[in-house]
Amino acid sequence: MLGLPGLAMALLAVAILSLTTGARAIPYDMVWSAFFSFDPAATEHRIIWDLRLPRTLVGLLVGAALGLAGAVLQGATRNPLADPSILGINSGAALFVVVGVAVFGITQLTTYVWLAFIGAGAAMLVVYSIAALGREGATPIKLALAGAAMTAVMQAIINAILLTSPRTLDEVRFWQVGSLAGRSMDIALQVSPFILAGAALAFLTARLLDGLSMGEDVARSLGQRIGLTRGLAGLAAVILAGAAVSAAGPIAFVGLTVPHVARAITGPSYRWILPYSMLMAPILLLGADVVGRVISPPGEVQVGIVTAFLGAPFFIALVRRRKLAAL
Amino acid sequence: MFTRLSTAALVVLLACALPAHAQDWTFTGGDGETVILDARPQRIIAHQDAAAGLIPLGIRPVGIYADSAIEAAKALEGLDLSGIEIIGTAWSEVDIEKAAALEPDLIVAEWWDRNSAWSGGADIARTLSPLAPITGVAASNSIVGMIEDYEALAASLGADLDAPAIAADKAAFETARAAFEAATAAKPDLKAVAVYAGNDAIYFADPAGAAELLDLQSWGLDLITPGGVDSAGNNYFETVSWENADKYPTDLILVDNRSAATLETALAQPTWTLNPGAAAGQVADWPAFWLRNYAAYARELAKLTEVIDAADASVVP
Repeated sequence: MLGLPGLAMALLAVAILSLTTGARAIPYDMVWSAFFSFDPAATEHRIIWDLRLPRTLVGLLVGAALGLAGAVLQGATRNPLADPSILGINSGAALFVVVGVAVFGITQLTTYVWLAFIGAGAAMLVVYSIAALGREGATPIKLALAGAAMTAVMQAIINAILLTSPRTLDEVRFWQVGSLAGRSMDIALQVSPFILAGAALAFLTARLLDGLSMGEDVARSLGQRIGLTRGLAGLAAVILAGAAVSAAGPIAFVGLTVPHVARAITGPSYRWILPYSMLMAPILLLGADVVGRVISPPGEVQVGIVTAFLGAPFFIALVRRRKLAAL
Repeated sequence: MFTRLSTAALVVLLACALPAHAQDWTFTGGDGETVILDARPQRIIAHQDAAAGLIPLGIRPVGIYADSAIEAAKALEGLDLSGIEIIGTAWSEVDIEKAAALEPDLIVAEWWDRNSAWSGGADIARTLSPLAPITGVAASNSIVGMIEDYEALAASLGADLDAPAIAADKAAFETARAAFEAATAAKPDLKAVAVYAGNDAIYFADPAGAAELLDLQSWGLDLITPGGVDSAGNNYFETVSWENADKYPTDLILVDNRSAATLETALAQPTWTLNPGAAAGQVADWPAFWLRNYAAYARELAKLTEVIDAADASVVP
């Protein structure tokens, strides 16, 4: 088995690859000296610091957030298909960004971040309120249904706006596919506190999720408060997924698949699934980003596309090779 | 006897037909097709770019279909559109009911030879052509040439090209062009490049794909021709990663001004200033693809001349 140290090494290797790979050929010793003897006049050093480092950091943060958010959501809803997109988080973020661009003429990524974050939170709140109606409260199935319905509604509004406003479509096109390109250090700094807080909260819920995975009745009989567990896990997921989607756009695939891979390796305990997901997701995301940078020179392929292309066959193979652990 | 009678009948018939032919309006469009109408068209629906060519020459369409919201349609900037119905505000979309209600005699768009299509979207011509024939000038290698084509079209539609306002626009343009030529002649070493800036990449424009850039070149501006044709196979731009923003170092950078956001996006890129011209702040507007009349051309040329006059031509050795 890979083990956490192995994964950490792999992640480090991908991060170094991300710093050394790009449209411009920069020799390894230049990358090294950019960190240990920075010269502001050297073009290569500026590219490392201004472009590749922020991009790598955003990739690490977003990847970790997506992996954790997916794992927590799958655990809390006990739904193998749960990921940030199914609870309306991605669409909510996209809707707010699209409205911001179409109505208020916002054009800069650093402003998108806040819009997307508020949108993700608002969507989750609405979805939760709808699901909580009725005597039995917000059950996983009602959450998933409310999320799917809200996603459909918000997607319809997004499409209506984009169809009538080509300028908006043009502005949000690159954000909507999911991309790490053009993300500045400001964006990494903007989202990192949220991702750190969300991650801390997610790890706090690990033990509770383990209880929940034995079934609601067992969990309840062990003295667990189901509603509180779901609420905490949901909050962690919104913070993580909201931050991720705001920084990189809606990247759907990572949050769904990585926890399944992690679960296949670690077994059912969330105390292991969570850290594995947190390390494996950025390996996939950053790795896909590096591939996207070199696959079609002189242009780049957005990471959202590469992740799906790389991830889907792998996921299919996994599903075919072994029975995925039931939730 | 019989032959004489039939000849006489033929003469009478011809005599009846001829006066009608004398009123015919014909125009051969950029697509090579000749439109023949039995009277000079009065009610015209025009694509935004064609409207920008015709309105300053005194031909006012009854309806305009634009590629975007009117305030974002650069070509129509500064034109008086009062009384003109807007029947489309998105690429390839037109309100067919409004168009029919306007009872047009003629649709005027621009012919794009590269795509073998009328401007405004391929479907538009199909949607509007049942209402009236479609014609227009061809997109060409010179905006000045296109404006002259618009003058010919406008004259055939009854415009008085000797009107003082039209003559004044043309004179202002000639003055602006002379000033531009003088400015470039004074700085023979000044190198320039035209770009579009996206969050994903910087796009270097091939002058051969933009009529106004070819004009500027012919008036002495030393514009870079980028090397690569991008992977999508279109040769309007070369797509370059922001890591290589200094691929074409120049003294002056012209930034696509169809949307003000493009320059903001450029300025927000940390590597924008890798290009020495950008680092020196020698950045000007590129009126990309939208100039269709002398007044707008004169305005844009004056802005460019001002930047060139103030520019340091030795930023790039």
